[in-house]
Amino acid sequence: MKDSAPPGKLSSTLLSSENIFTGVIMALLLAILALFLLYPVVDICRLSFFKDGVFTIQNYVDYFSNPRIFRSFYNSMFVSAVTMVITTVLAFFFAYGLTRTTMPAKGLFFTISTLPLIAPTIIQALALILLFGRNGLITRYLLGTDWNIYGATGIIVGEILYCFPNALFILYTTLSAVDTRLDEAAQSLGASSLKTFWKVTLPAAKYGIASAAALTFNLTITDFGIPVVIGGNYSVLATEIVSQVFGLQRFDLGATIGVILLIPSITAFMINYYLTRKSYAMISGQARPFLPPSRPLKKWAFTIYSVLISACILLVFVTVFFGSFVRTWPYDFSLTLAHFDFPSLGASVPLWTAFWHSVLAPGPLRDMIAIKYAPIWTSLLVSLVVAIVGASVTLVAAYIIEKKKPRGEQLLYSLSVLPAAIPGVVLGLGYVLAFNKPYFFIYGTVWIIIINVIIANFTLGILSGTANMKQIDKSVEEAAVSLGAGPVTTFIRIIFPLSKVAFLSTATFFFMRGMTTISAVLFLVSAKIKLAAIEIIFLDVDGRTASANAMCTVVVLVVVLFLVIMRLVTGRSGLTGMSAAK
Amino acid sequence: MGRNLKLENLTKRFGKLTAVDHVDLEIEEGEFICFLGPSGCGKTTVLRMITGFETVTEGYIVFDNKVINDLMPKKREFGIVFQSYALFPNMTVEENIAFGLKMRRMPKKAIAERVDVMLDLIGLSDWRSLYPAQLSGGQQQRVALVRALAPDPQVLLLDEPLSALDAKIRLRLRAEIKRLQQELKKTMIHVTHDQEEALSIADRVVVMEGGQFRQVGRPIDIYKNPICNFVADFVGTSNFFQGRRTGDNVDIGKRKIKVMQNGAGADESVSLSIRPENVEVFKKGAPPGVTEPMNLVSGKIDVVVFQGAAVRLLINMDNEEIISDIIEKDFEQRSLKQGDEVYLYFPPEAFLVFPDGEGRK
Repeated sequence: MKDSAPPGKLSSTLLSSENIFTGVIMALLLAILALFLLYPVVDICRLSFFKDGVFTIQNYVDYFSNPRIFRSFYNSMFVSAVTMVITTVLAFFFAYGLTRTTMPAKGLFFTISTLPLIAPTIIQALALILLFGRNGLITRYLLGTDWNIYGATGIIVGEILYCFPNALFILYTTLSAVDTRLDEAAQSLGASSLKTFWKVTLPAAKYGIASAAALTFNLTITDFGIPVVIGGNYSVLATEIVSQVFGLQRFDLGATIGVILLIPSITAFMINYYLTRKSYAMISGQARPFLPPSRPLKKWAFTIYSVLISACILLVFVTVFFGSFVRTWPYDFSLTLAHFDFPSLGASVPLWTAFWHSVLAPGPLRDMIAIKYAPIWTSLLVSLVVAIVGASVTLVAAYIIEKKKPRGEQLLYSLSVLPAAIPGVVLGLGYVLAFNKPYFFIYGTVWIIIINVIIANFTLGILSGTANMKQIDKSVEEAAVSLGAGPVTTFIRIIFPLSKVAFLSTATFFFMRGMTTISAVLFLVSAKIKLAAIEIIFLDVDGRTASANAMCTVVVLVVVLFLVIMRLVTGRSGLTGMSAAK
Repeated sequence: MGRNLKLENLTKRFGKLTAVDHVDLEIEEGEFICFLGPSGCGKTTVLRMITGFETVTEGYIVFDNKVINDLMPKKREFGIVFQSYALFPNMTVEENIAFGLKMRRMPKKAIAERVDVMLDLIGLSDWRSLYPAQLSGGQQQRVALVRALAPDPQVLLLDEPLSALDAKIRLRLRAEIKRLQQELKKTMIHVTHDQEEALSIADRVVVMEGGQFRQVGRPIDIYKNPICNFVADFVGTSNFFQGRRTGDNVDIGKRKIKVMQNGAGADESVSLSIRPENVEVFKKGAPPGVTEPMNLVSGKIDVVVFQGAAVRLLINMDNEEIISDIIEKDFEQRSLKQGDEVYLYFPPEAFLVFPDGEGRK
């Protein structure tokens, strides 16, 4: 053995193109997340603890010693806990019916149950008010009672309808993954159906159940749209933050409540995240054997149950849709388009105004489209940019995290999944505190909204991106490199085409969030820049309920249109010919 | 001297684990080398260091008299064939083969010609516009093979290319790889855990264990003259005995056995190994005429395994299991069957004697 180097040229790779590529992107991503995620959150904490540059817990003392605002904490915990229990139970049996029985029309039930994802969370509240409000169709018109749904009941029912698909996804995955042969084994050993359910099915799904519950809790406690519309005097943390900031200009107290809201929200998120991983670790990957026909009683019981749940979800959409076309709910049911002539006089991003002015002749129609529909166009623009940029950035980030595994990859991953734990209202307020400064030139433009929506929904993009990357064989990339492809070529020619499906579904998700998100961007809209989903709230608060319904209908229609286009596009691009997964 | 590939003192450590432990080897241009060993022996790590996908902890990889330790994988211009084929699923057969050529910025016409040549080489010209998912495993691996060969790499590295295929295809493709290697005279380094594959395909075999090279040599030498217990055991099948040596005799507990091989000193503890095909079996009766009656031992046939041309007998000798392979004709002639009391004969010259403490036993 010799110690000296053999003769010949030594070439160094410290500055190889590969390392530069990874390093630059890594640094860029970390910088983006530090600036647009960490900094605002840190700024909120700073504001809540410091007064005139001196550390103080005065804000917290104020909060806990004021019974009226302190109530919001209790209220939030209460509605979230109740929603969590009811939603998890309802979704569990729905998922059970879909996975373990031979009831008919499973595909239809599943599709209907996902509907809440395409609408702003406010839609549930609007529908409940139309049906059970002071002038509710059922309460006032049919029953003639003075009871109405405003307050805790309304929030809970609304949140259940909104959280249902989210809990269902987790439980559906869990129950499809748990090996049904365990059930069969138990029954062949003489256990009754009920006993099998309690002793085998339920324990096997326990992580999934707990993770669905934690997610529901997190979604409910961070939601703003439903409580602001239907909560009435029943204040929760999210609405309290907004009323402190908007109503009383108490940014410090708003920040304090934000920090308080962070605690249960982050806890619930971490429980959900941890349990989801644990639950997926139990997935056997075994092909499921044939599902034997369910007994008629079981089959029909689950069918009726699924019909009822689906009907409730559909009813929300039908009610709001119908409510936007009738003249005076619930007294005059003659149809009209009047509510679609929105009263808002919002400006638009100049780009859109110029566009409409160039394609339409002057007149009332142009005014309506260019001015009154401005929030829709702004939302559309924001959502399209969010879809493309959000899906691209998360794809690249997932690629770096999963395939390159550079130093600091753990940090990048942790930061990337963090946004789901941070309530939109808190992040939005953080943006105001952190970026409302003269030198921060994109504040007050549409770009800060775009960034906010991307960051707030970063988590799901990263999770679906890394799941996709895990499916791409490491050797495929190495093959490309060994054949002489550089990092950029490898990404564009190999990784991206193999991620097309994931990219399109992430883009669709980002688009839907862009159109429907409320809480995160609430603080970032202005008289100049309005968003459709936020406009629903303002219209509703303004007492123009019918127009709020109409705006909500338009948002839903835009999302549906987008989904249809995506389906047509991806159907035609021959994605089926590709085989990322062998 | 051609463009030789040299491993000098090459070492790879993952934390505390030493995966490759100071190995040396010189591979000549045009040679077909096979790394053989059980899983976890470090053979794939050696290959990955040569490809550049794994960094070198210590030592050097020298190619064409240049140290290439830190050279980027794409600059090494080594072709790689992967166990999982690793074809680009989004490209056709043709596009897959052309990929490496495009990366080298070859003119379009030259690429088309080269792709044709490559497709002819594997007889898949009619399949050029199909996607990998539409091909069988064997076809995919053939495409992967010529995709790696298309840019005319300096060295072709094959990482267990056949282990994902079923037995018949594996044999066919093995022959095809050998044929291609002889036609193209390309340096190839092949990694496998299948000893039969290694022996049949390579010019030289490197047997690895625990990150070290146990033996490097021609297949026939590896098989006939394994230098340690591990190689004797891993390559082919062997019967082993432990004992103490006195001159030509080895004391293996109850009996003494005569051996021929020299090398071990007197009164040294040794282990003996003998291949099953060298163990003779005779039906009990009159003792057969053998040159060394001392090595004639009684036993009883426990199990008979018919293997086609040969028959494998598991024989109980003093409560130890001895494996003997005899050709089918002899088996018939001597009318052996299960439960028979038999004589075993160990020809003294067929024993390999290893000093103890070397290898596994």
